[in-house]
Amino acid sequence: MHHLAIDRLTASYDGKEQVLVDVSLQVAKGEIVSLIGPSGSGKSSLLRSLVGLLVPKSGEVMLDGEKVDYTNRKSVKALRERLAIVFQQYNLFQNMDALRNVTVAPVKIRKRNAREVEEEATALLRKVGLGDKLHAYPDELSGGQQQRVAIARALALKPDILLLDEVTSALDPELVSEVLDAIRILAADGMTMLMVSHEMALVREISTRVVMMDRGRVIEEGTADRIFDNPRTERCQEFVSKILGH
Amino acid sequence: MDYTLQWGQVVGFTGYLIGGAWLALQIAFLAFVGGVTIATVNATVLSYGRNRALRTAVRSYVAFFMNTPVLVQIFFLFFALPEMGVFLSSYQAVLLGLTLNVSGYLTETLRAGFQSVRRSEIEAAETLGMSVAQMTWHVILPHVIRVLYPPLTNQYILLTMTTSIASIFGLEELTGRAYNVSAETFRSFEVFSLSAVLYVVLTLVASSVLWLIGRHLFRVKARLV
Repeated sequence: MHHLAIDRLTASYDGKEQVLVDVSLQVAKGEIVSLIGPSGSGKSSLLRSLVGLLVPKSGEVMLDGEKVDYTNRKSVKALRERLAIVFQQYNLFQNMDALRNVTVAPVKIRKRNAREVEEEATALLRKVGLGDKLHAYPDELSGGQQQRVAIARALALKPDILLLDEVTSALDPELVSEVLDAIRILAADGMTMLMVSHEMALVREISTRVVMMDRGRVIEEGTADRIFDNPRTERCQEFVSKILGH
Repeated sequence: MDYTLQWGQVVGFTGYLIGGAWLALQIAFLAFVGGVTIATVNATVLSYGRNRALRTAVRSYVAFFMNTPVLVQIFFLFFALPEMGVFLSSYQAVLLGLTLNVSGYLTETLRAGFQSVRRSEIEAAETLGMSVAQMTWHVILPHVIRVLYPPLTNQYILLTMTTSIASIFGLEELTGRAYNVSAETFRSFEVFSLSAVLYVVLTLVASSVLWLIGRHLFRVKARLV
């Protein structure tokens, strides 16, 4: 049984053009699946759909064999306890310092012990290299630092699967490496991840599988080496050659 | 110019004038609290309400109170309402007039604050599993307060100044008392200079207190005066 199984998922914004068309995908425990493809191909929409920010029109999402009902608040709440997402624009709470951004959900929503959560959050922030920024507010942090707080915030919920939505694309080039290092640490820890990324070197380095999307559909999937060195579809060949510059 | 300043004649009235300043502060505070309450309801209707008729009613309310002079509004409450059998004291008419007038302006300010809440923060709160109430308490309200604090402070200071029109209705707030002292001593220059200084002190103290509260409670970055 797959950890996460997506079957023929279809979604659209405001009932207009479909942004996801019959998307099927499986993620096993411990796998790192990377979604690649041109802008507007549905990668981010797929992640938003999985966490219920974009309610699917049809299709099924199963988490450890249990079907997610996106029209049912309880079901979505249960899903969000197991799936955490890190956004492209960090989306930190501006009125909270780094530590509180990380602790607010476990303490206020999961009702966990505040002291225990604070210790864990401090450890997480240290892990992503922000041990000296615990009490800094988002507007006092660089983009890379904010993104690492966002990653720590997602991890504080102890998710089964971490969704990363182009977490480096809003960053200045010199800040990208610090976020990539944080992702490498997670990969080494065996975290199950579904990530959208344009960092092809990282995708190749850590992905167990790569999924190519175009116009809302999955058009090809395979190991990173296979997709990059030997793409089968014409669209994938074209995309890979453009992005790798050969 | 052969005018000789004679401060000695008015300095003795300083305590009396300060008493008037205290009344001005009270009227401003009560009108502001009332205005914020009405404006919060109005802004909620305009930002999130789905009832078209209700939205139109709120829009008309705001348009009316923003486009007519506050003095005319108070004249209406004080002189026109009795024709319909509603009698208000000068204090009630002034307080109600200022409250209704400031609520019109505050509605627009609060609406802008509600609209400035970043969609991205709301989405993050949603995906972290926050309920609407938790989201409002932990994310939306702190943001709105932080964004709106400087304009609300300005509005409060402006309202404090506007209380001077209460003197027209016989209320002995700072301007009213200054007028009394002027009539008694005929030292208009000295009296109104002293009352101007008291207004400056009043607003500076109010700004400083509000600035300190904003800075420490809500991390507001606005500069003091």
